[in-house]
This record gives sequence, structure tokens and C-alpha cells, in this order.
Amino acid sequence: MKLRAILLTTAVLGWAVPALAEGDLFIYTWGEYTPPDLVTKFEKEFDVKVHIDTFDSMETMLAKLRSGAGGYDIVVAGDATVQVMIAEDMIEKIDVNAMPNYANVDDKWKDVYWDAGRSYSAPWAWGSTALIVDTAQVTGDINTLDVLFNPAENVKGKINMLRDVNDVINMAQRYLGVPRCNESPEDMKKVLELLQTQKEWVKSYNSEFKEPMVSGEAIVSMGWNGYSMRAREEKPTLAYVYPKEGYTGWMDNLTVPKGAPDLDNAKAFVNFMMAPENAAMVSNYARYSNGIKGSEAFMDAGLSDAPELTPPADAPAPEFIPTCSPESVKLYDRVWTKLLN
Amino acid sequence: MSNARLKDLRAFTGFGSVAAGCVIFLYAPILFLTVYSFNDGRSVSQWSGASLRWYAKVLHNSDIQAAAVNSLIIATVAATVATVLALGAALAMTNNRFRGEEAAYATITLPLMVPEIVTAVASLVFFVSVGFSLGFTTILLAHIVFCIPFAYLPIRARLEGMDATLRSAAADLYASRRQAFTKITLPLLVPGLVSGWLLAFIISLDDFIISSMVAGPGSTTLPMHIYGMLRLGITPEVNAISSLMLIGSTLLVIVAGVLNRGGKTT
Repeated sequence: MKLRAILLTTAVLGWAVPALAEGDLFIYTWGEYTPPDLVTKFEKEFDVKVHIDTFDSMETMLAKLRSGAGGYDIVVAGDATVQVMIAEDMIEKIDVNAMPNYANVDDKWKDVYWDAGRSYSAPWAWGSTALIVDTAQVTGDINTLDVLFNPAENVKGKINMLRDVNDVINMAQRYLGVPRCNESPEDMKKVLELLQTQKEWVKSYNSEFKEPMVSGEAIVSMGWNGYSMRAREEKPTLAYVYPKEGYTGWMDNLTVPKGAPDLDNAKAFVNFMMAPENAAMVSNYARYSNGIKGSEAFMDAGLSDAPELTPPADAPAPEFIPTCSPESVKLYDRVWTKLLN
Repeated sequence: MSNARLKDLRAFTGFGSVAAGCVIFLYAPILFLTVYSFNDGRSVSQWSGASLRWYAKVLHNSDIQAAAVNSLIIATVAATVATVLALGAALAMTNNRFRGEEAAYATITLPLMVPEIVTAVASLVFFVSVGFSLGFTTILLAHIVFCIPFAYLPIRARLEGMDATLRSAAADLYASRRQAFTKITLPLLVPGLVSGWLLAFIISLDDFIISSMVAGPGSTTLPMHIYGMLRLGITPEVNAISSLMLIGSTLLVIVAGVLNRGGKTT
């Protein structure tokens, strides 16, 4: 009995301090974002054990790293977050642009606002936040934010908005034609008025938009492109729409936090992920584009040319939005709190 | 007297329907969750035929399995350690007046009063400032601490309800303190220990806030994994693993119940 207790304690403690010897790679990312077959492939090729930990928001991830928690080799971070992490000296300069597979990165993802010239970060996946519309119910011109803010009678009461302060306010700003990262109280007052008027017609503020769209509880919603494709696969009348007023783009990137236990494995993984066949695995699994040239050839049929991943020629380019100033963040929070109360 | 009042309560108009309403309110969501774990589609609210595909997916998903195993190990160890500590505290503090008793009681039950996020942030800051690297150990320590009051209260309640003369009788019959404890007190305490352990186990199993704050590499728990899936969409895979864990905890409660009953009749 005593022996068993000792063995159990040793087992637990052994678990508690994972071996940081070579042969481990700790990835900190969103849940269900990393294809299991990709992990297996990397483990086989490089003889390392991959461990995946998940966060539920960029804020959680930043809080964790800022608190001084170390031990991760790879952290997946959104575009604005990478900018913050570089500014706060939280990530290693791993010279992604000097890696052998860097040549595969699509040119439009090389000089990005969050990491010009790509010294710190490599593309993982990118997508957009626009609209999803049930074309069986909504008629007329749908390529416009009017479907959200000036809806037809039958759409009223059947609108879903994402539960995200920035996404919602950015959409309202585009409709009003005022700038993003707005610090003007007058502009933000107009935004609040628009959103409060719209609230009458909003069924829910919910980031889980697929279920209400598929069930028909909502017939217009804000949505992310990859998840909208899932919705369309369940209900073919749903269409992902790129409004002419503009929409938000985002990119998740691979970064290496300061103090990563195994810098070599981390760099090997970053380079590995810029190979087209490996990047394609991410797209096949998570249903988002990846930013690597030539990966289309390895993607599932119907994925690389899906309307959700390839905007039509006349659609505007996605707008990437950096972290706004503290003044505008404060204004946004006030608008958001007022709106939801 | 109290028996008569209980009977009166049951005879009260509407008692049956209120009770049924409560049972439905508590169990319908669980039933719904289990049913949709057999859904063929990706949806957790639109039925599209029965299948076992999400269970098959769980069996092949090492991430979600690792998270579930982490959760189960943490809950088992934390509940066990917390119950042992709570037993000691309850024995020392019940029917035993001493200086600082109130303060000790307040300290033990503090995690029940303090908002969880405060405990979470405080634990994180503490671990980091003493140079403890975050991981499995830190989650375990944090869980043991906040599980103690949940284990303590049922044990203390049981101990308070126990006939004090039994221990005096044992002493009169020349039982040593040790014999009195193992032959009299401990067997009588079993129901309290079992419910304290189960409560601590369940509280540990579904904790999210504290876990996510003090987790480190290699220690993602199931609730953390599920929250992390929100970005790419919840699938019935979550229902499947939840149903599996439900079966596990139901078995545990049944076993505990059977043991408990055995304890009572002897």
C-alpha cells in the first residue's frame, strides 16, 4: 500500500515537471486548431514529442505570458497581439525571413503591419469576419451592411451579432463611414445610436452563430469565413457575404516566446509549417486559408476555391486592424456596456 | 415532530409537480447533451441521424484525451488530499473549544467566500513570485486548497451530528484513542467522508477560472480545452467526451452509495 502511494506520488510529480530535455515541443494555441496528423508527422520527422495546451482568448494568453509563466516553445497569436508582443519584447526574434521555407510565404503576407519583413512570426492561418446570409430568406442586394443596419421587414428580429466589442463596433463604423480605432466621442455616440436602434431587430449577440443560422432562428449574422463554410455545408442556402463597405481580416501567426525551453525545436516547427503540404493540413482541418503559396495543391477538393476562402474579384480587400489606443478602447468599452445593458 | 412536519410538506398541494419540475430542470440538459453526442452531423442542436462518429473521434483525438486524463488525475488527487486534510481539521475543531477557533474556521472556508477570480489571480501571482514554474503541480496545489472547504463542511456536519457519548463509552471500555478513532469515529464518519470527497472531486473536475490561471505547459484540463474550442466551433465531440465522463462519475456515485449503505447496516 505504502509502496503504491509512493509510486503514485512519483508518477504525479514526474508528470508535474515535464522533461524539458530535447525532444519536447510545447505549443500554446486555440483548441482543435492543430491537426493530429500534422502533429504525428512532425513528431516522426524530428523525433520530438509535441504537447498542446489551449487558451480561450488572446487576453488569457497574454496574461499568462506576462505573469512570467514560461515553458512554451510556440505560441499562436493574432495579428494585433503579435504587434503588442513585439513591442513588449515578449517574443524571440527568430529571423523567419532567413528560414529555408520562407520563400513559400505568399508575398502579401510578408510585409504585414504587425511584423514588417517577418523577423518574428510566420503565418499559420488567416480569415475574415464579414456576414453570413440565408439567401432563401433575404432578397435584393446582400453585398452591403444594409442587411445588418437597415434590414427588410422579414429580417427584423432575425439578426445575430458576434459577441465581440471590436467586431461589432468596426462593422457599425464602416456603415457610418467613420474611421476605425476612433477616439472621437461624437463619432462613437453615433455608433452607439446606430447599434441601439439596431438592437431592436437583433435576436442575439452570440459568437456561436452556426447553430442559429442553420436552425433558421437567425437569417443574417456576422460571421467568420471558415465557420460559415461549416454552416453552409449543413444548410446550402447560406452564403458568406463580403459587404462593399469593407470587412475585417485577421491572421494567426506562429511566434516563439522569450525563454522558450527548446529554441531549436521551435524554429524547426516554424520552418516546417511554411512547407505547402504542411500548411495545407491546417487548412483542411480548421477550414481557413494559410498564406503559403502552393498549398492549394494539397487542400481538400472544394476547399481552396470555396467562396468563403476566395473572395470574388469585386469584393474589397480585408481590412486588418491594429490594437487601438487606450482612449478608443475606453470609449469602445463604454459603448459596448451601454449597448448590452 | 419533525417527522410529522416532513409528511405535511410532502402532502402539500403541488409538491409532486414542483419536485418533478426541479428534476426536469436539472436533468433535461444532461439528457439533451447525451442524446446529441450520438448526432451524425456537426451540430449540437440540429439532429441529422444517429451515429457513433464523435465517439470514434474522441478515441482518436489525443489532445482531448490528454485533457480529460489531466482533469481526472487532478480531481482524484486533489479530492483525496483535501478530504484527508479536512478530516484532520474537522476532528480538531468540532466539539473542541480553543483560542482562535473562529479564525481557523474562517481561514478554512475562505475559498467559499472569496470570488474565484480573486483566488485565481492571487494564486498565479503567488506561484510566480516564489518562483514555482506553472504546470501540473500548481494546478494540483490550487485545487487542493479550494477543495478543502467543500470536503470539510460535510465531514464537520456529520461529526457534529454524532453522539459524543459513543466516544466516552469507548474510553470507558478501555479503548485507546487510536482504537476509539478507527473502530468508532471513522466508521461513523464514512458517509461524511464520501460526500465530502465527491463534492471536492466534482468541484475540482469542472473548475475553469483557477485552472486556466495557474496552468502551465502540458497541463490543459478538459474545461480549458472546451473553452479553447469556441473559436473553431463546438462539435458533438464535446458531448461525447462529456457523456463518457458522466458515465464515469455516475458509476463513482453508485459505488459510493453502495459502500455507504453497507457502512450503515453493519
